[in-house]
Amino acid sequence: MDAARVGVITFPGSLDDRDAARAVRLAGAEPVMLWHADHDLQGVDAVVLPGGFSYGDYLRAGAIARFAPLMTELVSAAKAGLPVLGICNGFQVLCESHLLPGALLPNAGLHFVCRDQRLSIENADTAWTTEYRAGQEIVVPIKNRDGRYVADRETLRELADSGRIVARYLDLNPNGSQDDIAGICNEAGNVVGLMPHPEHAVESLTGPSTDGLGFFTSIVKRLVNA
Amino acid sequence: MSEQRPESSGRDTSDEPSMEWLGALKSDADDPELQPVDPAVTQAFEAILEEEQPPGIPPAPAPAPGPVQGPPPAAEPEVLPPVPEALSTPPEALSGPPPQEFTRALAEERTTGPQPVRGTGPQPTYEPGFGSGPQPAYGTDPQAPFGTGPQPAVGTGQRPLPGLDTGALPVVPSGDPGTGQFTRAGSGPFPSGDSGPQPALPAPNQPPLYGTGPLPAIGSGTGPQPAIGGTGPQPAVESAPELEAPAFELGTDTVAIAAATPDRPQPYVELGMNDEEYRRVRSILGRRPTSAELAIYSVMWSEHCSYKSSKVHLRQFGDKAPQTDALLVGMGENAGVVDVGHGWAVTFKVESHNHPSYVEPHQGAATGVGGIVRDIMSMGARPVAVMDSLRFGPADAPDTHRVLPGVVAGIGGYGNSLGIPNIGGETVFDACYAQNPLVNALCVGVLKHEDIKRAVAPGPGNRVILFGALTGPDGIGGASVLASATFDEESQQKRPSVQVGDPFMEKLLIECCLELFREDLVVGIQDLGAAGVSCATTELAAAGTGGMHVELDLVPLRDATLRPEEILMSESQERMMAVVAPDKVDRFMEICGRWEIPATVIGAVTDTGRLVMTWRGDTIVDIPPGTAADEGPVYERPLAPPHDLGTLQSDTPGRLTRPSTGEELRRTVLWLASSPNLASKTWVTSQYDRYVLGNTVMAMPENSGVVRIDDESGLGVAISLDGNGRYTRLDPYAGAQLALSEAYRNVAATGARPLAVTNCLNFGSPEDPGVMWQFARAVEGLADACQYLGVPVTGGNVSFYNQTGTTPINPTPVIGVLGVHDDVRRRVNMALTSDGATIALLGETREEFGGSEWAHVVYGHLGGLPPLVDLAAERALASVLVTAARDGLITAAHDLSDGGLSQTLVEACLRGGLGARITLPGDPFVTLFSESVARAMVAVRPGAEARLAALCEQAGVPVTQLGITGGDSLQVSGTDQREIFNIPLAELREAHERMLPSYAD
Repeated sequence: MDAARVGVITFPGSLDDRDAARAVRLAGAEPVMLWHADHDLQGVDAVVLPGGFSYGDYLRAGAIARFAPLMTELVSAAKAGLPVLGICNGFQVLCESHLLPGALLPNAGLHFVCRDQRLSIENADTAWTTEYRAGQEIVVPIKNRDGRYVADRETLRELADSGRIVARYLDLNPNGSQDDIAGICNEAGNVVGLMPHPEHAVESLTGPSTDGLGFFTSIVKRLVNA
Repeated sequence: MSEQRPESSGRDTSDEPSMEWLGALKSDADDPELQPVDPAVTQAFEAILEEEQPPGIPPAPAPAPGPVQGPPPAAEPEVLPPVPEALSTPPEALSGPPPQEFTRALAEERTTGPQPVRGTGPQPTYEPGFGSGPQPAYGTDPQAPFGTGPQPAVGTGQRPLPGLDTGALPVVPSGDPGTGQFTRAGSGPFPSGDSGPQPALPAPNQPPLYGTGPLPAIGSGTGPQPAIGGTGPQPAVESAPELEAPAFELGTDTVAIAAATPDRPQPYVELGMNDEEYRRVRSILGRRPTSAELAIYSVMWSEHCSYKSSKVHLRQFGDKAPQTDALLVGMGENAGVVDVGHGWAVTFKVESHNHPSYVEPHQGAATGVGGIVRDIMSMGARPVAVMDSLRFGPADAPDTHRVLPGVVAGIGGYGNSLGIPNIGGETVFDACYAQNPLVNALCVGVLKHEDIKRAVAPGPGNRVILFGALTGPDGIGGASVLASATFDEESQQKRPSVQVGDPFMEKLLIECCLELFREDLVVGIQDLGAAGVSCATTELAAAGTGGMHVELDLVPLRDATLRPEEILMSESQERMMAVVAPDKVDRFMEICGRWEIPATVIGAVTDTGRLVMTWRGDTIVDIPPGTAADEGPVYERPLAPPHDLGTLQSDTPGRLTRPSTGEELRRTVLWLASSPNLASKTWVTSQYDRYVLGNTVMAMPENSGVVRIDDESGLGVAISLDGNGRYTRLDPYAGAQLALSEAYRNVAATGARPLAVTNCLNFGSPEDPGVMWQFARAVEGLADACQYLGVPVTGGNVSFYNQTGTTPINPTPVIGVLGVHDDVRRRVNMALTSDGATIALLGETREEFGGSEWAHVVYGHLGGLPPLVDLAAERALASVLVTAARDGLITAAHDLSDGGLSQTLVEACLRGGLGARITLPGDPFVTLFSESVARAMVAVRPGAEARLAALCEQAGVPVTQLGITGGDSLQVSGTDQREIFNIPLAELREAHERMLPSYAD
């Protein structure tokens, strides 16, 4: 059986695209590099929007990238159920695209923050988290400048009530996110946005743990079983 | 080569520019004695200026787009622009409306091939959002929950792009009050509701691009960019059409004029040249230089670019270079390249950006990172890691609170946006850096042997392409004029001349360059740093066939009012220059277009042996390039030991009262662990991305940064960057060797074989014989030690004039050592992790406190002599550490340096969250705090004790059992087994980690 094909979109200013591709490979899938200016998802089975500073994020994180030609295809495919994981800048792009509610503002301390972050997996039923247990604690790096998740009260309540908070920060909220939110998903659970970087916790040699690999093996398993 | 040469980029632009020299140049050009004066024309010109310009606003740039018009108003008169003596308009204003139409006309006339392709069309004027100017009035996004978030109007791909030929104005948002350059904007073809920067360069076969960046069109440039640099055949330079200079272009000083006016006074003194240097330029050229030539020589012969004071000493690095097969490219190129095996090579270099970082900490430090990264790129490498060595005034000094956070945010903001991990460095505080912080940035890049690129311009007919950011009035004259300036009250006035970085553009440049290299499209490449186009063209030409012809008016500008001298000296960031064979230009442009990077053919390689530049058809530069690039003046400056050296050395720390009781020793351990230089630097390093690229195996606070190069084999490199200004102050020869020793030891402690050296030599004024003596001794010490240890110097950087008033900084050579890991999976961390492991001390401890952290922290004392250098012991220790790591004999290793064993134990315990029970073998104070060299602490893998002991014996390295890992405190006993003190890890951690945030936040 052919390996699942997981696309990784490169925008100008994407930084963690190679790392996301490596994580996909380590999880047993075939990474497919997608170019922002194309209109072709190349028939991939899932997509990762990687971290970085697309277009320099001079305006507002993710605000320009959402207008990339490929995003037209991605938005409609995601609405039709294509699994999409947005990491860091990718999360910001998903919010800007309105595939996910809320927004990501500059960190509370106004500093870029890079640290090994303990998280709890709150929802282990999304397309990207089935390899975890609900309530499982993991450590993955966080590194961002604009990671403070905000939404209006009603949205926050709805996210909580419907189990759409995928992960929360433990110990220390690194950026002032509301309700310690580190990641959320859409109603269908196929689109997940995550501020921490699971792709940097896939090898014990280079990461603080291998806890992040579960996001990628989750999707691989799902695609193989599909 | 035997010299450290300035890099194109010598970004230490150490030194920022005052704009005064420009005034001098302009007033020179405006000298009524030398220009025909026609009062009628002058009046007309003044009238035009008055009419067009609201008071206080500089002249508008280009007029509205549309069919090519003749050069605006001042075009009619054919005579050279006259300047009445009484004219009071500032010289800048006199340069008048920019000649874009003119330039475009020129370019169109010359572009004989296909019409400009992507990558060459009208350039958008986009500028990073930092700082200046009002933001364009973006529409609001009603859906954004937080309300005001500006939604970019920049392209959704719906809006028609400006036609390539229409010279469309790149956007000025309506309602934008403008930055003073926009007064005539708004007549472009865009719907007036549109705002935001215009997209550039449509990529091949694509619908209109949806924007090149979120960058508001602030900044100085406006006006249509000329459709320059077509990718078609380069017009023969000889056939340059004779075009008349527009009348408003005042006083372009051409070669012909220079020949005809030999006695015209020139502002060479203001440009930092002395009489003799100026005479030499005249003798080389056989006439007086034009103002453009003077700009080139002054900047290329500046201390910063020519290394005129340091050259005679730096030669030792070549003369004493150890025999090695590892060196693929030595000194003299942008950076040295070393062979690390398996066909891989590594290039690395450190450079200073000290003075700009004092003037404007954020941008100064950011552009320091940008510059060194471009140096590494120009060797053909992918940059894979950065490090930084930082020195500030006292941690509690008010100005440190301005400089430190700005520098850290600048380094982080730039490096993080490039996607290059920051893997280590140092942060040091000392009063001597209070008004002269040191910001030294290192970059390491990886490439295959066959991909090495050089800064050469061979092959007549090859095209010279400038690509990257547009050229603006950034840091003009920086390298030269401010390089010879020290800081005083006037430095505030120099603020505007610090360059501003755009890391997004640099990231695109990195990816673009790697793609260009992959397709083998360049025959030579050089980054633009200090001295910008002057440096790149002279160095490329001098190292190539020898000649080059450049049409300076083809340089795409962000500020169309720039004069040729300013273009030559601009230090606008994120620019590169490539030499490309004619048949590869199209593909080159295509790749630049894909990355939305402006690229322009500005000239061609010739075999004339002359660097010739034209401006509007006139020859303004005609020089033998080697005379500017390589044959600058060389000085043997007078040397003499500083007058206070004897006093300093005889004031030994022996007179200082030492802690003796258990409680005093305990307090001293905590005191040192919480002191600014030894405290945790997490506050700094947590602002840097150490994970990106996914190859960071070790990063701060580890002994060295370690990155993996090859996933399969595990091949990797370790790098450490160290310096000690106090040691060097006490004995410069030893101080440089001690810095090298520490970096060498740090690399070996991870298990890497030390391979090569880079350096950044930060000193005071070379005109001070005391400083020059320190410099000479330090270089000699470093060269001797490198020779002994078998690690060649591959390149480096000299930063002089680090002083305030007449007080120089402590001489601070910062040394980078690079080592190789055959398999990074064998690396050794500093953390104590496994319970019950034997802790051993390798090396010999002597009573050495001269220049120590203890004397510095507790008494503010600096005197005596630094620790004895012992290179043989260093080499033996390194061999033990490397072998022990390879054979898996040790589970942790941490070098002993600043703060001695005490600090090493604190860091190793806290890093692993595991305590230790230690028995001190000798005098507790000396054992804990002495800074003797060639020592390391290791945790031995249980069962490997005998093998380690045998290894040490064989190498002649003394080994002492210190204790055992375990518990949650640092428990220290004496030889009598009685406890001296016990510090819970929680208390240690609190002391170690509290300091920096408490000062910096």
